[in-house]
Amino acid sequence: MSNKPTHNTSSGELAGFVRLNEGIKGVVLIAFQINIMALNAILLAHRAGEVALGFGVISKELRSLSVELTGLMQELSNDAYLAVNLISDLLRQERRYRLLKKATDLVVNPSPALRDVMLRREEEFSLITHRVRDVRLRLLDRLEDARKLCQFGTAISRSAKIEAAYGREYGRALAEVSQEFDQKIQNILPSIEALCTGMQRR
Amino acid sequence: MKTAQTIYQEGSHRWVVIARDPSKPDCVIDTNEYLVSREGDNLLTDPGGSEIFPAVFAALSTIVDPMSIRYLFASHQDPDIISSLGLWLECNPDIRCYVSRLWSSFIPHFGGDENSLTAIPDEGMSMPLGSGQIEYVPAHFLHSSGNFHLYDPDARILFSGDVGAALLPPEEDELFVRDFDKHIRHAEGFHRRWMGSTEAKLDWCERASRMKIDMLCPQHGSIYQGDDVMRFINWFAELPVGLSTFRHRR
Repeated sequence: MSNKPTHNTSSGELAGFVRLNEGIKGVVLIAFQINIMALNAILLAHRAGEVALGFGVISKELRSLSVELTGLMQELSNDAYLAVNLISDLLRQERRYRLLKKATDLVVNPSPALRDVMLRREEEFSLITHRVRDVRLRLLDRLEDARKLCQFGTAISRSAKIEAAYGREYGRALAEVSQEFDQKIQNILPSIEALCTGMQRR
Repeated sequence: MKTAQTIYQEGSHRWVVIARDPSKPDCVIDTNEYLVSREGDNLLTDPGGSEIFPAVFAALSTIVDPMSIRYLFASHQDPDIISSLGLWLECNPDIRCYVSRLWSSFIPHFGGDENSLTAIPDEGMSMPLGSGQIEYVPAHFLHSSGNFHLYDPDARILFSGDVGAALLPPEEDELFVRDFDKHIRHAEGFHRRWMGSTEAKLDWCERASRMKIDMLCPQHGSIYQGDDVMRFINWFAELPVGLSTFRHRR
């Protein structure tokens, strides 16, 4: 990105990060639902006893996954907040740069001091632009972590389905729970994919 | 672009008005900025909003180096008065802005901090400018609750902020009032609505009538000079203002 402020790019970035934050809220809600569901599944497996030992282990894994995912989303949300702050600053700098540039262009012989002011503005703008870029890269790393976590969740929710088959008289209840696990995880993945795509596009 | 015109000069002591910007966006109200300069000490009154900063800066550069502005005076806190503060501070971080104590924690939303703002106490104050003095004269509630005018006793000029302002049609936007009766029609609606307190208005009129004023310089519209100054003060004293007049007009 050029170190000269370019109009409108920052406002587009700002909208992107605001959308990201909204997407994160959706993932956190599903992670919370998985957490509650996994807790109930652990209790169900406990009641079922030996026939649901494997199901119990998988439910605990899913519960840990939901906690980890929530933590990751919190970190993402903090980064998105930081990015919104930086971009708001960038927008302010852009406006100031535009007005100072206009003033410099209107003055017949701009003094060296005025040119120094413009240079300082450009340096400041470049610095903030780099910080925004760093935050975006960090966000992409975290989104990649979240995607891997969800892929792991998909695998273990399928294992839960298999384990449910050994549940004898609890088999139907366990199958229903494992089906819900799978659906919830399947709901998260597209959201994470959309967040990744949204960030990469910028 | 705005133009700069000297309206008073006595040696190195001068007042310059920066006014009339034909290229300004229609959505932005036109404003008058005044440069008060004395022995190299430069003060700019109500430097204006951010959007007109380039025009003010450029017009000023035809008279002085804009980077040499040492003081800003904000009659009150409105955006058309002082939202350019951040830009002026970019050019000269040592600039000091004088504003009512009421607004010293509000104005930093436009830029600056406690190091760049000097709070004027409610009763007003004097400050040296070159070899002379200027006075910050209380004009509270006209229209802002923390409002000041700037008086230069040697030049006998009162910068009166929004008092005396007129919203002129383009074909009548003379720099000086030529025909008081014709001009004042463009000031009436503004004063009725903006000046909310009869008590504050009469108090100001009483004090202003005792001051020696050759020119009364508002932030919008034309400058009153000579007999028109007293004519304006009398007109303002008689003008019904405040909520009761507003109710009638609804």
